[in-house]
Amino acid sequence: MNLIFLLLSTRQFLSKDQIREAIADYRADGDVAFNRKFERDKEELRELGIPVETGTHSQFGDEPGYRIPRESAELPELDLTPEESAVIGLATQVWEHAGLAGQSSAALLKLKAAGVDVDTSAVRMAEPRLSAEEPAFDAMWEAVTGRSEVQFAYAKAGEPSTTRRVQPWGILSWRGRWYMGGFDLDREAPRLFRLSRVEGEVRTVGARGGYEIPEDVTMQDLARSLFPPEPVGEAVLHVQRDRAVALRRSAVSVTRLDDRTDEVVVRYASPWQVAAEAASYGPDVVVHSPPEARQLTATLLRSALDAATLDPAS
Amino acid sequence: MSASARQVQRMLALVPYLQAQQGIPVDRVAQEFGVAPKVIRKDLMQLMFTGVGEYHGELIDVDLTALEEDGVVHLRDADFMTRPLRVTAREGAALIVALRTLRAAADAEQAAIIDGALAKLEHAVGGSVSAPVDVHVEPLDPQVRDAVSRSLAESRRLRIEYATASRDELTTRDVDPRRTFTQEGRLYLEAWCLRAEDLRFFRLDRMASAEVLDVPVDDHGVDPVDLRDGFFAGGDTGPSAVLDLDPTARWIVEYYGAEVLDDSADVWRVRLHGGDESWLRRLALRNAGSVRVVEPAALRAQVADHARSALRAYDGPVATDEEL
Repeated sequence: MNLIFLLLSTRQFLSKDQIREAIADYRADGDVAFNRKFERDKEELRELGIPVETGTHSQFGDEPGYRIPRESAELPELDLTPEESAVIGLATQVWEHAGLAGQSSAALLKLKAAGVDVDTSAVRMAEPRLSAEEPAFDAMWEAVTGRSEVQFAYAKAGEPSTTRRVQPWGILSWRGRWYMGGFDLDREAPRLFRLSRVEGEVRTVGARGGYEIPEDVTMQDLARSLFPPEPVGEAVLHVQRDRAVALRRSAVSVTRLDDRTDEVVVRYASPWQVAAEAASYGPDVVVHSPPEARQLTATLLRSALDAATLDPAS
Repeated sequence: MSASARQVQRMLALVPYLQAQQGIPVDRVAQEFGVAPKVIRKDLMQLMFTGVGEYHGELIDVDLTALEEDGVVHLRDADFMTRPLRVTAREGAALIVALRTLRAAADAEQAAIIDGALAKLEHAVGGSVSAPVDVHVEPLDPQVRDAVSRSLAESRRLRIEYATASRDELTTRDVDPRRTFTQEGRLYLEAWCLRAEDLRFFRLDRMASAEVLDVPVDDHGVDPVDLRDGFFAGGDTGPSAVLDLDPTARWIVEYYGAEVLDDSADVWRVRLHGGDESWLRRLALRNAGSVRVVEPAALRAQVADHARSALRAYDGPVATDEEL
């Protein structure tokens, strides 16, 4: 603390000797102990994110001097509106991950110390929660924010694990799961990895800032495989009245056919998708077109019937 | 972060905070900083040994009489630090990703506020913030989302058409909204359901429509549910089924958290806990060919019945143009 206050209050660079002279705790130590303590404290300042500037002053000769430049160390004025302060307050409740919850509360304390009045009731909105239970998360978060190359063992479901070397470009949370997208150095292509499939330790093998993230890459592009594919056409289904609620909600049109049946038109990306969805509703949904989806549905239903009537013990 | 680093961080924020709020009760400080009052008292005692030098006027001074007698804090001789330190790149990244998460669940008006906060925050962070982190929340019907946030803001009752998770039916319910939250990337409404006469969670993407009624909400005298207790973790209750999975259906194990009973052969035998029987039946029909029900026999019979009666529609000739 004293080192921070001393370096913050000085305009001129202070030499190591001047610092030692000013702080009782350092003065009491011998040379070796002082040097060790001084290095440790400087490291602690770096970890707290406090910038220590080194420079020389003619009167020390070649010896380096130290100071904390006030303008870059102090929090600038933010001029947050009450609503903006409120959303920042809500944001500090988002993380359920202990480390990141701690980081965001530390930021909030600084804002409060700058006189920001945080009244979260000024805005009523959804309270999302973000957790990260994957053991690989912390190392991957560090790698992504620091741009360092990593190496880890990765196993797809039901397959043995392989070692992957990757330059992480970003991470993505989708349906409560975390994914890392980056450049796979062995496959020489962008790849997406699910963090829950990373086995064991994630080793950082490259220096911080060791590569550039291509500007035209977004995580949304990399993660395309997670999202539903683009529709290729429209399927016509005959649906029992009041049934298949979810299908009706995504329908392009719903037309009454007779007392019991509606014609429901939906967009589809593949005939397989139509068939699987229709089959899941059993007799409530009948596929009329496209013909290949109609045929696939019948095939699915037939194999369901065969499997369910077969004695499972045989 | 170590306890001592946390203490240093807190003390560095306390110095400018207390100077701006001279005479603030120590209990209030503790509340704002999220620690016990005795922690703040200890911090204050330690602060008195710090300063820019060792002489009177160079060390931070706390008015001990006021602290002991009135429980309020007066801080002097700390003008060398009147502003807090900058938000660090790490703190900034955590907060920015949290704000993006809020934004993903926000309506247009709220999103504009969040964008303003994000821009100002990025300016306040030392160095450049590198946070290549995306949080995806399922897109929603804007009409539903706006009605839900309006009913919360105005404390008015909401009428929703709701598709239940597994039973394939649409029900109309009047609910008294309490709050919204997201879980696993999906937005939920916690509300008192007048039909069930109990607190319920509703997924916003399952609301076919939502209408704000001209009725104020009732309190119903219930405590909010603490989601940290893992409300959604109770997946092991309700019916379950034993299934055989072909290699192409192994994703089910990871996706639904099925319990693997036997993976010594190509076909895996697993136990899957489902919301109810109709959900399990639909899963078996959807994945027919790669998923087979082993037990219970009643579920197998249901799958057979549904498949048999569905097939009747396909046994005849393929529909002609006139029929479409």
